[in-house]
Amino acid sequence: MIRIPTQERPHWRKQADEYGFRFHTMYGQAYWDETAYYQFTLQQIEQQIEDPSAELHQMCLQAVDLVVSDEYWLNKFQIPEAFWQSTADAWRDQTPSLYSRLDLVFHKDKPVKLLENNADTPTSLYESGFWQWLWLEDMVNSGKISKSADQFNSLQEKLIAQLQVIQHWYKADTLHFACCQDTEEDRGTVQYLQDCASAGNINNRFLFIEDIGLADTGYFTDLEDNAIALLFKLYPWEFMMQEEFGSAIIESPTQWIEPMWKAILSNKALLPLLWKMFPNHPNLLPAWFEEDLASASESKLVKKPLFSREGANISVLENGEVQHSVDGPYGEEGFIYQSWYPLPKFGDNHTLIGSWLVDDQPAGISIREDIQPITQDLSRYLPHIIL
Amino acid sequence: MTTETKSGAKRSRALNREQYRKQHQIKPLSVGIASVFLAAACSDNRQEAMVFTSLNDCQYQLPDYAEQCQMAYEKALAEAAETAPKYGSQADCEHEFGSDQCVVYRNESGNSWFMPLMAGYIIRDLLEPRRYSQPLFTSYSRYSPYRYRWIGAGGYDYGDFRKRELKVSKSYTKPPAVNRTINRGGFGSSVRAKSSWGKSSSRSGWGG
Repeated sequence: MIRIPTQERPHWRKQADEYGFRFHTMYGQAYWDETAYYQFTLQQIEQQIEDPSAELHQMCLQAVDLVVSDEYWLNKFQIPEAFWQSTADAWRDQTPSLYSRLDLVFHKDKPVKLLENNADTPTSLYESGFWQWLWLEDMVNSGKISKSADQFNSLQEKLIAQLQVIQHWYKADTLHFACCQDTEEDRGTVQYLQDCASAGNINNRFLFIEDIGLADTGYFTDLEDNAIALLFKLYPWEFMMQEEFGSAIIESPTQWIEPMWKAILSNKALLPLLWKMFPNHPNLLPAWFEEDLASASESKLVKKPLFSREGANISVLENGEVQHSVDGPYGEEGFIYQSWYPLPKFGDNHTLIGSWLVDDQPAGISIREDIQPITQDLSRYLPHIIL
Repeated sequence: MTTETKSGAKRSRALNREQYRKQHQIKPLSVGIASVFLAAACSDNRQEAMVFTSLNDCQYQLPDYAEQCQMAYEKALAEAAETAPKYGSQADCEHEFGSDQCVVYRNESGNSWFMPLMAGYIIRDLLEPRRYSQPLFTSYSRYSPYRYRWIGAGGYDYGDFRKRELKVSKSYTKPPAVNRTINRGGFGSSVRAKSSWGKSSSRSGWGG
């Protein structure tokens, strides 16, 4: 894994306009950054990222299997009791999932380490499946990168295929897509999935999460009062379960992508549970629940809220003192602790790998960079190649 | 576990870039919505649908069902106005669909666009009250990959435009058509609560 500075394509901002990629710059700062790229060997991709990702994912599914049938763990994961049965049913029915992203720390010649699993509402999907693919094509066509270069990125192909599988599984006539208002990044991610659905000849419609209605038939509805048979929601399960419509989910015939059992995988309680289930696994970092913290011998720990996203409310503790912390709205639900493991540094940049899975299969990677040691929602996105 | 993918490219083979282009669309949804759907290559799951090139064509073929032809035609025409690709200039539209193949479309706020003529429509379950009826377009432009093809509003290519029977998927289970929405806005409160923290005017997503 090396970082190679390069020239930006002169036309990329115009191209971004053409393709509707609107969030490449956020809050006046670059988000998409093609002033450099990362280069991996095929062996690094396959042996150090792809195979461990598949294995970690299977371990996570074993954790779901344990949690759904055990009240102790359902409590630990703060799944509201009203949803225990529905969550277990969704798992036993093997309701299909679309995608997830494992955040990994990659150091040359060492096993990758799992930082967390973004299994319910992962983003940076468009940048990964489509935009960095276009970047490589342009760079190869203009002779800046070797024709033999490849990329670990079969996301788009797999997304189209899996959306068709899910539609067929539920026999749904139309697939609805929803995200929250006022966020270009989420809207762009959902539009990309809609485009993938269209490419797979799946009827699809969009609505905002805030506009969802509830009908006398028990179905959730769109703004035209159409019943929603199947909804992709870029909105966390733990929010939905607590909100006004939450109790209506249980009896509703409306079906969901991601399925409800993903509430277990996107929960940070997964990390200490995995460490209990697979102690000393080479791809796991030691992790503890609050009450087990006494058994931690590490002097440097990362404290994470159960429900946090994009680095919010994470703090780094050294001998009990806060070294770094990130503000945010999470934390009232409790915390877990994970052994500190630094991201690799390339110059001033700390680099994190996102490893995608679609239909339980490894499907590609995304790379985020930050000057800070904890990557956040504004960390820059850089493309990669295999050579 | 990954041996199958270990030979050959690690990336998607070929992306249909055009399908993901946004510039010509008047709204972000126009590619996606109301497109004709097909089952994923399951031959047992498809059934025949009929294609007509005009209202007269339908009524001539099916004289006993003139009224149903009319209703299906009007439904397809309305769908065409909503979902056809829209262009800012006649030249752009004709480049894609051929000369004299484009008409003016005016939306409610009075803006004018150019869109291709509906070249045909596809009907299934003609006798059902909730019959399936969708517009079809074709191109006569030698610059277009759609030349002499039946194209659905979603960009799906049904093949040669001389075909009068097309296979579309059997109806998947449709949720009840009549829903009375009794409450709206019951999702999203967590976001409102958490948004009061942090960035002032805007924020990034709730994904991770």
